[in-house]
Amino acid sequence: MELLLQTLINGILAAGLYALVASGLALAVGVVGIVNFAHGEFSMIGAFVSYLLFVGAGIDPILSLGLAAVVLFVVGALTYYGLIRPVLAAPELNQMLLTFGLSVALQNLALLLFGADTRVLFTPYQGATLALGGVSFGLPPFAAFVLSVGLLVGLYAFLGRTRLGFAVRAVAQNRLAPGLLGIETQRIYLLAFGLSAALAGMAGVMLSVMLYTSPTVGFAYTLKAFAIIVMAGLGNLRGVIPAAIVLALAEALVSTYVPGGGGWVEAVFFLVIFLALTWRSWRTR
Amino acid sequence: MILVGGVLLLALLLPGLPLGEWRAFVLDTAQFAFLISGLALAWDLLARTGQLSLAHGAFFGLGAYSAALLAPGLGTLPALLLGGAVAALFSLLLGLSTLRLQGMYFAIATLAFSEVIRTLVLKAQFTGGSIGLPVQPAFAGAYPLGGYYLAVAVLAICAMVSLLLGRSRLHYAMAATRQGEAVARVLGVSVVRVKLLAFMISAFLAGLAGGVYAMKTLFLTPYDAFGLGRAVEALVIPIFGGLYTTAGPLLGGLIVVSLETWLRLRIGEGYLVVYGLILILTILFLPKGLMGLLARRKGGRHA
Repeated sequence: MELLLQTLINGILAAGLYALVASGLALAVGVVGIVNFAHGEFSMIGAFVSYLLFVGAGIDPILSLGLAAVVLFVVGALTYYGLIRPVLAAPELNQMLLTFGLSVALQNLALLLFGADTRVLFTPYQGATLALGGVSFGLPPFAAFVLSVGLLVGLYAFLGRTRLGFAVRAVAQNRLAPGLLGIETQRIYLLAFGLSAALAGMAGVMLSVMLYTSPTVGFAYTLKAFAIIVMAGLGNLRGVIPAAIVLALAEALVSTYVPGGGGWVEAVFFLVIFLALTWRSWRTR
Repeated sequence: MILVGGVLLLALLLPGLPLGEWRAFVLDTAQFAFLISGLALAWDLLARTGQLSLAHGAFFGLGAYSAALLAPGLGTLPALLLGGAVAALFSLLLGLSTLRLQGMYFAIATLAFSEVIRTLVLKAQFTGGSIGLPVQPAFAGAYPLGGYYLAVAVLAICAMVSLLLGRSRLHYAMAATRQGEAVARVLGVSVVRVKLLAFMISAFLAGLAGGVYAMKTLFLTPYDAFGLGRAVEALVIPIFGGLYTTAGPLLGGLIVVSLETWLRLRIGEGYLVVYGLILILTILFLPKGLMGLLARRKGGRHA
């Protein structure tokens, strides 16, 4: 019983970060209509920003969070201007190839610059644990969960309560009408893509504390975020949180209860994608 | 057409040319280039229906492992064909569940598929897991150039299929599917069946190339056979050479593999960064690839 409770708590804690990464991706897919294969690489850049600031200047990752958000917003905006905007009217195949190329280029550029080593940050609170009625969990995952929930609340408040947020949702719903109503579609795309990258970057900062920093750290999160948004329906922001919880709980249960579960966890997201797609495919028949 | 024939003729004659001390290196690199170009031609077949596959590395690997495991019992040629068949079977299962949906879903599913196949091969016992799998050379080493000519044969088969499909009725069905699924449906094209057929042919050829690759390297590991690098090669080459053509992937394959061989010697592991850049730059500035560039030149001269 205690093991089950511990497993469920681990799953819920992981779900926060998953939801944060996947919300960013859902924003890019839903608003701009681009499947961004480089989303996880934005997280990787965020992780490196946090790592380099900590090692180089002794800045705590919590403070890097804001800076990484700004850096990645700029990276996202530049990516949109330089790469995405020219192919907005191109066939879907070309758009996907472009972001895939960006993913390959960023990952291997990091490999050339920093090598393939995994780098761990040693912060004073790294090993701290919290105990709550018999179950214990690490402070970093808990903090990442709280921060992720906070950021998601902020994102939903922005989309649900502000005029700009309304504009973003309007563009997501219809490509043409918002333009007629005086919303500058291009600027909304820019904003959404930048925001998407910023969310990924902040998730990356948390990864640098919870996990490690390496050129390939983001790739797994691209796949997990895809699993989540496929479950939620591409571009559906509201479905992201429940879908993230499902994925994280499934992974936690597999790693606890399946013998030799460590390796099989990597297959869970595929099962989720496969089941979601098969179900979707049967429903549209 | 002339270009395709020329490349194949050169491939056949290459072992007879006086290459001196470079002979072994040239033949080895050429063999690799032929197999990767074959893989690229296979990828392009599916791309003609507008679908992005990131799983061709996995089909290549599936063919490689199947052929390697079957060859001692069945002989080289049946093992290679079965390797292709195994890849085609997996593509059928993957395609049935995903090809009805929008292209985005398919691309995502193929990426996830290739990651999972690698996990399975790493975990399984009969594949040698992470340690790797030693492979017999082609025809149990009876002919020194057997592997080389098998690679030439694979390239020829891929080029033939690509040329024939480019002239068949299926070609128009594929083009229509790519350019507008709804319109294709109205015109009486069975869109899902066309995509599925293209996917299976494509995966079969990728598996075939993988099998010959296994008999060339003589040792397989999941990281090598199923690495994302293979999937990247499979798509960079047709884009760079020219999508939806036969000569494009062929020409692109020879150029890109030469570049890769040189880069591997120069910068080692991060060489894929160049592939990423080629991909981005080609899509932004040269969406029709090298063939588009050549056609523009030719058009200019006629005008």
